[in-house]
Amino acid sequence: MKRRTLLLGAVASACGRGPRLNVYNWSDYIAPETVPQFERECGVRIHYGTYESNQEMLAQVMSGNSGWDVVFPSGDFIEPMRALELLAPLDHALLPNVSALSPEFQRPPWDPELRWGIPYMHGVTGILYQRSLQPAPASWADLWDARLRGRLTMLDDEPEVLGACLKKRRYSINSATPVELLAARQEALAQKPLLRAYLNAEVRDQAAAGDVLVAQAWAVTAAQAIAAAPGKLAFAFPSEGFPRFADNVAILRESRRVEAAHRWINYLLRPQVAAGIVMATHTASANQEALRYLPSQVRQDPVLYPTPEVLARGEWFQAQSAASQKLRDRLWTEIKSS
Amino acid sequence: MKRGLAVYAIAIYAFLHLPLLILAIFSVNASRFTAWQGFSLHWYRAMLADRDLLESAGNSLAIAVASTALSTVIGTLAAYALWKRASNWLAGGLYLSLVTPEIVTGVSLLALFQWAFRYVNFRLGMHTVILAHVSFSIAYVVVVVLARLRGFDPALEEAAQDLGSTEFAAFRRVTLPYLAPAVAAAAMLAFTISIDDYVITSLVAGVDSQTLPMVIYAMARRGGSPVLNAVSTTIVVLLGTLVLLSERLRRV
Amino acid sequence: MTRLRSIFAMPAAVLMLVTIAVPAGIVGVYSVLSRGAYGGVELPWTLENYTRLIDPLYGGIFLRSIALAGAATALCILLGFPLALFIARSGTRKNLYLSLVILPFWTSFLIRLYAWMFLLRDTGLINTVLQWLGVIHQPLPLLYNTGAVLLGLVYGFLPFAVLPIYATLEKLDKNLLEAAADLGARPIAVLTRVTLPLCAPGIAAGAILVFVPSLGTYITSDLLGGSKTILIGNLVQNQFTTARDWPFGAAVSIVLMIVAVFLMFTVRRRGEELL
Repeated sequence: MKRRTLLLGAVASACGRGPRLNVYNWSDYIAPETVPQFERECGVRIHYGTYESNQEMLAQVMSGNSGWDVVFPSGDFIEPMRALELLAPLDHALLPNVSALSPEFQRPPWDPELRWGIPYMHGVTGILYQRSLQPAPASWADLWDARLRGRLTMLDDEPEVLGACLKKRRYSINSATPVELLAARQEALAQKPLLRAYLNAEVRDQAAAGDVLVAQAWAVTAAQAIAAAPGKLAFAFPSEGFPRFADNVAILRESRRVEAAHRWINYLLRPQVAAGIVMATHTASANQEALRYLPSQVRQDPVLYPTPEVLARGEWFQAQSAASQKLRDRLWTEIKSS
Repeated sequence: MKRGLAVYAIAIYAFLHLPLLILAIFSVNASRFTAWQGFSLHWYRAMLADRDLLESAGNSLAIAVASTALSTVIGTLAAYALWKRASNWLAGGLYLSLVTPEIVTGVSLLALFQWAFRYVNFRLGMHTVILAHVSFSIAYVVVVVLARLRGFDPALEEAAQDLGSTEFAAFRRVTLPYLAPAVAAAAMLAFTISIDDYVITSLVAGVDSQTLPMVIYAMARRGGSPVLNAVSTTIVVLLGTLVLLSERLRRV
Repeated sequence: MTRLRSIFAMPAAVLMLVTIAVPAGIVGVYSVLSRGAYGGVELPWTLENYTRLIDPLYGGIFLRSIALAGAATALCILLGFPLALFIARSGTRKNLYLSLVILPFWTSFLIRLYAWMFLLRDTGLINTVLQWLGVIHQPLPLLYNTGAVLLGLVYGFLPFAVLPIYATLEKLDKNLLEAAADLGARPIAVLTRVTLPLCAPGIAAGAILVFVPSLGTYITSDLLGGSKTILIGNLVQNQFTTARDWPFGAAVSIVLMIVAVFLMFTVRRRGEELL
């Protein structure tokens, strides 16, 4: 399989001497055959790079001449990036497959007209833990338990860590009130001595190997870890409430291959393609039509497709005002530096 | 005391070399876990099949060759100039380049490039990485070549000039051949530095210039894998050979 | 005579100007500007980035980094001196032993750090062997702490300490040592009262060569410290990437650079002349 991919990639790049699309995506967020199949069909070569957090991606593209064409920002980053004039508006005439999206994602709160980004995959942030740990953690507050010392990780992501701390205090994850944010900072500082590390998707292998007992993790990472170590791991939706996120495909304003980028987005919206990605990466797709192509145990996976009652406790991340973002960034530096 | 020292030396050498040896041993372990399950070259095959890995290795090689060539030439010339007459500014600048922490060099180069790219239509890429590598390699080249020059008698060049040759010809035909081993050693040193650099490269690399250390770093952060053991062993063996050769040449 | 020298020096000089002086200037300017809403730099001018450093939080980071670098330096000197002594006295095999020290140092710092990650992690070799031997029942948390970072620093920079000390030991006049022995001093006394003081320049050079890179270390604390241990190097990297606070990162860089330059002047006066 790998050899065929290599060969086809070589052939595609040989005859596709033409345009090359630079795609910057989260790690482990695509199936092995997605890119080669697109290259074959459309004659466009893809250069594929990965990142581990929205901040990492934003730091790279902020200069306005990074070289990337397509990125995958989370919903709460769409508005700031648009305000920074980093995004190119989408032409729906070139995206007929957009009708395949679920109704919820046809008019998402961060971009109701889908002018700037098309929802790709979505999920929640919760608690990944070893089944051997009893009693099992069920709320954010459980992540401050002293018995977890040295075997606990949190996400290396400011909205997520502050979000969990805010939720522990029963505030909203999108709070912009300085008093509440400072309280959240206190919580984070109190928890820090227990932490093993701040890790994003990198925690997957460590959890599967048993090095980590409890991790604040994205549902995607959790699903991948659970699949990698069958029967050893489980995922909990915290009782106080949890963040929901959706990653979107967006085109950068600096891109000189806007038409090819649209073709790529339309290709990703194809139900079979989306289904293929879901099967390979254990993600939850925003694509409703794709669900038809998925086996029932995937469609009913409680981690990726929780029941509406569970989802009701979720809260979407919202973009912060500039002043609030500045405060949050400062608090995050202080948390990481302590 | 002599025996005590010898025992101590053995212990320290073991400390220095064992971790890499262990890595090499486990790179041929059939199992992906720490338990030994038999000899296998499986991970080396997986390493060679990884397209991203090979591409980044290719990038690293291209960058290393280009930056080595440039820094060796520029550095040798600079060492010769310094040997002829000491210059506090140049020596100070080179020393500064040696002493400045990598992270500071990296971010200042990034700041330079991002500022320059507002006026020139360029972006981060192979060329910025090569420029960065040249800039920090020169100092090492100068140190090595200058050390060799210190053992050279200037009278030889003067004699050549008295016999009618130009200054440059004297340099080319008298000094340079003497310097050849040191230049070769410096080139190999510059090569290994370039191949191994992570901090500075990660800051100034662009879309299409992902290097091998960047891939290794990402893999290590995820907890590592047996493929990484195979990659590590290969690199250590290759670089080690290069370094030993360089040392040989330096003592010629 | 002079023309060739200036022409030869030109490329290097230009390069140093463009890649060291100008960037330093830019970083200096950034350090007194303000941060944009989501990153980037903009007016107004401000000294806030520097005053922020006085905050005990960041002062703590500096102190922690200095302490760690100091510990690494002390360990490297302590461990390196006997080894340098051994090599200096080993007669014909000197080059071999020297190569054995240099070899691991020059082959990929990153990979050597990974080797320790491989050994120290919970499912790594050390824990597996200890558990198999029955010495422990739960894996020891050997990785992701300050101790692991210290180990990584010593492992990485030990050769930096050994080489300068060896260089001074080599040039030591053996007659002095013999004279001391003739005057009745025992070997230990010869060592502590003759050899050691005469080695001071080499030890000083080695110390600086370990201290400065350790102070600005970034990947060691990132890989072995779990990005939990924030040192100066991590702080700078962080501000220039994910935190997108370039002015603050620039201020920290300037301070770090001043410390490095200050130490450089100290050693140039007392240590070996490299350039």
